[in-house]
Amino acid sequence: MRPFTLRYTVPHEPEAVAVPYRFDASRQLNVLPDGRPAVADRAVLRATGTTASTAGSQTHFDD
Amino acid sequence: MTVLILTCEGDVTTDMVVTELHGRGVPLVRLDPADLPGRAVLSAEYAHGDFAGHLSVDGFLVSMSGLRSVWVRRPGRPAAHAPEPSRWLTAEVRQALFGMLYSASARWMNHPRDAEQARHKPWQLRVAHAGGFAVPPTVVTTVPRVARQFAQEYRDVVVKSAAGPPPDEPLMALPTTLIGPDADFSSVRAGPVLLQRYIPKKADIRLTCVGARLFAARKVCDPDQVDGRYDDSGRRWDPTGVPDRIAESVHAYTRRTGLAYAAFDFAEDADGVWWFLECNQGGQFGFVELDTGLPIAAAVADWLAQ
Repeated sequence: MRPFTLRYTVPHEPEAVAVPYRFDASRQLNVLPDGRPAVADRAVLRATGTTASTAGSQTHFDD
Repeated sequence: MTVLILTCEGDVTTDMVVTELHGRGVPLVRLDPADLPGRAVLSAEYAHGDFAGHLSVDGFLVSMSGLRSVWVRRPGRPAAHAPEPSRWLTAEVRQALFGMLYSASARWMNHPRDAEQARHKPWQLRVAHAGGFAVPPTVVTTVPRVARQFAQEYRDVVVKSAAGPPPDEPLMALPTTLIGPDADFSSVRAGPVLLQRYIPKKADIRLTCVGARLFAARKVCDPDQVDGRYDDSGRRWDPTGVPDRIAESVHAYTRRTGLAYAAFDFAEDADGVWWFLECNQGGQFGFVELDTGLPIAAAVADWLAQ
């Protein structure tokens, strides 16, 4: 018998978004192709949703 | 003295804090436990009644004697990136890493012991109630009759998961859902259900607590919205004040739970009452800061650098 709560699951396929930044180990943060920290471009963060409340809730308890 | 941040590479919310720490000239090491062993290196000695240890990754090193604070943000599973990962290896790395960190005298945001207990939603409700928050009537049960009676008494109730969506079903979400008293509750016996009286709300409130500092944001919601996390209205969060009574309750909550960081979710009803829904000890703050400009990352950096 499927637990009651699981009757209310809904399909949720995370939107595949290519992030335009990469981790720079020497600076210990993510950087844009022009070398600026990714957090310097707030529009990028909004577009990628990487700081959103559901960004890591499947695995990290951080929604 | 060095700040240790346990998180994964792609966590740009951490980048917001790293930037702040760089600006203050505070040494830091950013390490993902998933990279132990291998890219990250650990060594600790317990001999002659003394203790010494260090961690290093990508050329950055922190000794346990020089460890100022630890921020547990979004760490990967220990040893997840090892060439031959296993549950045993994960357990061994967890023992080595956290056993060493617990041996140091660093401050924690948040201590794993406190974080683990704070994740339990039913306990959250008890602590919230004791601290003076308004808490919606709630039942957690495996008895279908009890669930049915609760729904009949309160009519409009929501069902929510206590632990989040099932990890083995990554393409499924489990939003808080409004149900009526006529639902078939027979399958409640197959797993505990958490039912809560539905609070019709005019706004969602997200209150982020960093040490003693509080940052509240408010977002107006549609009358029929139930779970604000899945709001696609495009509305943004606005900064809002924190009523004194709420501030007192927040501080009572963090004292009781031992949390240095906590993200509270409230539903604001038509009378302006903030109803406690939950408190996430590791809740995201990036989206709040982006919308409101509230200096949460700076506050986290301040706390870690103390």
